[in-house]
Amino acid sequence: MTIRATLGGIFASVAILVVGWQAGSAAVTSANSTSSATRPGSSTTTGTPAATPSAAGAPATAATQATSAAPAKAAASGSFTGSDTNTPFGNVQVQVVVSNGKITDVKALHLTDSGGRSVQISNYAVPILKSEVLQSQSVNVSSVGGATYTSDAYLTSLQAALTKAGL
Amino acid sequence: MRAHVFDTMGTVVSLTLPDSPAAEAAVAEATRQFRLFDERYSLYRSDSELARVASGEIPLTAASDELRSTYAAALQWRDATGGSFTPHRPDGVVDLNGTVKALAMQAAADTLLDSGFSDWCLNAGGDVLCAGHQPDGTAWRVGVVDPADRGSLLFAISVESPRRAVATSGTAERGDHIWLATAIDSTYVQATVVADDIETADVLATAIVAGGPSALASIVERWSVDVLTVAPDGSLRATPGLTAALVTEEKERDGELGSRHGHGVPARCEIDSPVAKPL
Repeated sequence: MTIRATLGGIFASVAILVVGWQAGSAAVTSANSTSSATRPGSSTTTGTPAATPSAAGAPATAATQATSAAPAKAAASGSFTGSDTNTPFGNVQVQVVVSNGKITDVKALHLTDSGGRSVQISNYAVPILKSEVLQSQSVNVSSVGGATYTSDAYLTSLQAALTKAGL
Repeated sequence: MRAHVFDTMGTVVSLTLPDSPAAEAAVAEATRQFRLFDERYSLYRSDSELARVASGEIPLTAASDELRSTYAAALQWRDATGGSFTPHRPDGVVDLNGTVKALAMQAAADTLLDSGFSDWCLNAGGDVLCAGHQPDGTAWRVGVVDPADRGSLLFAISVESPRRAVATSGTAERGDHIWLATAIDSTYVQATVVADDIETADVLATAIVAGGPSALASIVERWSVDVLTVAPDGSLRATPGLTAALVTEEKERDGELGSRHGHGVPARCEIDSPVAKPL
């Protein structure tokens, strides 16, 4: 029984991270959309897999509505909401559901990304400024990539210039 | 260190190799590999096997094992990308251009490695596959063209094993044979994918341009690749791995990308401004 409970606890923690992480990245997406309203092409990208949030999100929503249901002192039962805590992945607020003194569920109520840090744990493509990707006026490169050029277009390409420059 | 250039597959290949008595033979063998693939798969040659399949002269079932396995692999890519990549033209013709150039690059790479060349950089029409390091021991650096201005670089990354393949797909130039059964997504005008092998990089770059944000989200989740996309308005998205590989002023200053061995001749070229002019 102990093992099962432990495994259940681990699973719950992972689920929290997944839910929280997706909530976080959704927040990032909307935040960036607002800040770059003048860029029509930059909004509503990075879709999250539809199945995961709906599967994991449903019970969380239900429990949130049952929040603060009589926290008792002796044999505690009910939902307890923690304070907003700063983590390396953003601000997290969790809710713990206790039944007869035992934790039966933990839910992430709030996870916001701060400074785009949470994306570092994922492989999401996030908005990046042009000034961030090429800062030098002159860059030493070995080869120049790009969308496939024809033999004719090669003649006017940077790669041709590079080759002619004597690499 | 010298760039050897040859025409093939309707584009130009640049192969940068250290100077060596064996270099010419290695370049000739690499050239032959591209020619072999072109002769079998080009739809611009009426006598290629694939052109004869397309015209109905050879039933697909009677085609060579090589052709059928290349086709089967392309179909697997189609399934893996949810159809964002496809070897079928809208008119139903089997067109393997989406994978053949990458396969030829890999074949050429294999011959280079077999003949003892461990440091080289191969650029086939804008797709780049590198091995080893530059002569001074630093990582190969691959720049990628700005789709809004072909005369300037958009970004540059250092390429180190195992992520040694950099493929870029876009709507700006040749189109890269991007087709979809449904309408082509117009969210990205260019996508660069960095992967361990050039076939994966090439196919996924095409799939991202063709499939748009949903393809991008699915691909970065399922494949171990780095991606940078360009939207029509010039706005960019990048995965953390790509951002980490960027050549930036800060990294140059900190010497992160500096010479590891401290000797040898840097084989580099300054691109201060677009110097390309029609010949």
